[in-house]
Amino acid sequence: MMSSSDFLALLAVMAIAAYTCRVLGFMAMRYVPMTARMQAALKATPISVMSGIVALTAYNGGPPEWVALGVVIGLMRIFGNDIIAAFGGIAAVALMRATGF
Amino acid sequence: MTNPSSPGDPAAVTFTWTGIWRGIKHQQPFTPGIFAYGLAFGLVAVQAKLSLMQAAAMSALVYSGSAQVATTGILAAGTSGLAALLWAVFGTVMVMNARYILYSAALRPWLGQISPLKAYTTLFFLGDGGWLLAMRAYEAGEKDAGYVLGTGIATCPAWIGGTVAGAFAVGFAPDPKRLGFDFMLAAFSAAMMTGMFRGRSDLPVMAFAALVALAVSMVAGFGGAVVAAGIAGGVVAWLRAGRAVAP
Repeated sequence: MMSSSDFLALLAVMAIAAYTCRVLGFMAMRYVPMTARMQAALKATPISVMSGIVALTAYNGGPPEWVALGVVIGLMRIFGNDIIAAFGGIAAVALMRATGF
Repeated sequence: MTNPSSPGDPAAVTFTWTGIWRGIKHQQPFTPGIFAYGLAFGLVAVQAKLSLMQAAAMSALVYSGSAQVATTGILAAGTSGLAALLWAVFGTVMVMNARYILYSAALRPWLGQISPLKAYTTLFFLGDGGWLLAMRAYEAGEKDAGYVLGTGIATCPAWIGGTVAGAFAVGFAPDPKRLGFDFMLAAFSAAMMTGMFRGRSDLPVMAFAALVALAVSMVAGFGGAVVAAGIAGGVVAWLRAGRAVAP
């Protein structure tokens, strides 16, 4: 068990590091001119991050994850509702894992 | 480049309770997964000899699952000397959370229009799911920056409550994996990605981001891969936008 003063130092360092990351990009962008190109780049980051997460999940996963990603995309195209789609996918993963995949 | 739907009109950006409430509501589907993640952190923290209060304080002030789990791993492994430990922890948190640098940069056009106090408070609560939701809402025309704060604070009770429950429940907690909760972020990413897809012109951005994420994950883990994907897609969009306006 660490002493409470050591823990407070640790907590402070962690909190500062985490908050620094959260504000650093925002602060830096103040000095970067918001050109049309920069706007396009920032606008493309969410779908890029999502594509990255989906690719990593597919690569690191197996049949349950592959099927579930298909279910999510299929449900999304049919219903256009991301809550229905996402929970459909989660159910598919849980179901397939429960049945031994 | 024409930029019809977008951002841009500063006068329209607001920060209201209604917006905060809308963000809180829209973030709700993420909370079971966050709670399960909190449980997992609580379990790990107690095993690393942190007290319940210490684990809860960490969740409240650091507010970042991946960074906390990684740090707890360092604590459990034990290091020689406090200074060495603090540096190791600082570096770990910065690396695990580097993706937030990108996230907050992308929020500049929106949060840059509200007072710094509101913007910097909102950024404290920044997380993966909330950011993705907020960016999608922004693209769909949401102007109320309270929405971003709402998505951020909505996960507080689940995250801190999950931590406390996990610290209590060593040995009892169900395996989040069995319930598919570890698939939550991927599921919402796939759903929102499908929803944001505007046609073939998005494909180069998405494909390059996916490839870069896979390549980088070999050396830099999940956090690094996500940052790389965001930057890679942004670079493609930047180059293409340039081509479109070239005289």
